[in-house]
Amino acid sequence: MAQLVAQKRVLLADLTGDSIRAMSGSMVAYQGQVEFKSAGMGGGGGFRAAIRQRVAGESISLMECTGHGRVHLAYQAQDVTVIGVQNDTVTVESEHVLAVTRDLQLDVQFAGLRGMTTGQGLATTKVSGSGQLAIVSDGPLIGLDVAPGQPVVVDPDAYVAGLGQLQMSLVSGVTWRSLVGEGGGEPFSLRFEGHGRVYIQPAER
Amino acid sequence: MIDGLGTASYDAQSLPADDNVNPYAFSIALAGEWFVSKGAMIAYYGNVDFAGVSQYASRASWVAARFSSPMYADEWVVASGQGKVVVADRGHDVNSYDLEDGNLTIKQANLLGFAPTLELKQSIVPGFVTLIGTGKFLASSNGPVIFVEPPFRADPEALLGWSDCPSPSQHYDHHWMAQSFMAGVQGMLGRESGEERQYDFTGAGTILLQSSEKLVVDAALLRTVESHTNLLDAQSAGALGQRLIARSQQGGR
Repeated sequence: MAQLVAQKRVLLADLTGDSIRAMSGSMVAYQGQVEFKSAGMGGGGGFRAAIRQRVAGESISLMECTGHGRVHLAYQAQDVTVIGVQNDTVTVESEHVLAVTRDLQLDVQFAGLRGMTTGQGLATTKVSGSGQLAIVSDGPLIGLDVAPGQPVVVDPDAYVAGLGQLQMSLVSGVTWRSLVGEGGGEPFSLRFEGHGRVYIQPAER
Repeated sequence: MIDGLGTASYDAQSLPADDNVNPYAFSIALAGEWFVSKGAMIAYYGNVDFAGVSQYASRASWVAARFSSPMYADEWVVASGQGKVVVADRGHDVNSYDLEDGNLTIKQANLLGFAPTLELKQSIVPGFVTLIGTGKFLASSNGPVIFVEPPFRADPEALLGWSDCPSPSQHYDHHWMAQSFMAGVQGMLGRESGEERQYDFTGAGTILLQSSEKLVVDAALLRTVESHTNLLDAQSAGALGQRLIARSQQGGR
């Protein structure tokens, strides 16, 4: 069973004859016998998922790393966090997915308007199943709990991931005044309600 | 089940009050108003409203007295309400400073927020603003902040701000005059090595430096410099315009 270990800004993936999927081009070094091949634009989600990703404008592109040995993965010196998932679902902004172990499914979710406002495509990636997921963030992640009666509002550009039962809605800070001159500076924000946790990074993309 | 997220997690109560969440993010305990740089907010809990400075000033007249810089009015918003507001700036270090009946001048692009007990004024040095009074403000820096005391010469790009000392004068390395005639001509055309110009500080006070020279784009700086050209008569303004065109045609520096 492949093991993912985060070491600050590098992800160490120990392979024991099995495979993981990682962001294309993220390998910085490896030891042992490891083969790298493109997992295609589907990211393993099957042909249907590939079509949907194309439609959604997703830029996620994964490679499959197979063999015995240790692979070092990194992306633009960003902080790496490893998440263990057991029969659960995590929603991650696609460009933050660094690697997933084999038994996790990646699926694309349409996010509608939200994607339009952030300009990074119309979709986020839903990671479900059991296994490990490594995500990258510009600076250490900050977790913000969401409970009934305690919604949180985040900047779409700082949002990285979400877990639990969350309902997302778009908050518009635009008033008629801002159409003629100055706005609130945060024209669109994401409001999360329900029960779960939202992860943000201390930087705006 | 999800585990392994050993990373710090907070809710509305456990978020720090007026303190850093981590070196790159700061949590403001909002009860009333704060001036916040546009786009600095990354998350908030509670009932918080963000309004443009002049839009808010039309409802609360004290705002105009506290924020006396029309140049920057559309770079800033007033956050009002009750809650916790988390601010950050592109993953740069964020620090809070307490000013006590003092004055501090800081690069506008690095100022993320300040309490309304402080008064903001435009500095004579382009791209800088001065905070006067007592209260807390937040500033970002590319790398940790270095404090030094005058006499000191600073690279304009690494300079973050200064407090309690007189505004700097510009210093040019003395051998500029000894250089060849052609170098002088190039200087007139706007070609400089970039390091012969420094800010010279004298007197007593503290100078804040950041450990990198990475330039932050400041939209208002252009307007500030442009407004300074009002000092020129029409003919010199035309000459300046020609030099600027020549510089942009050289590819700019």
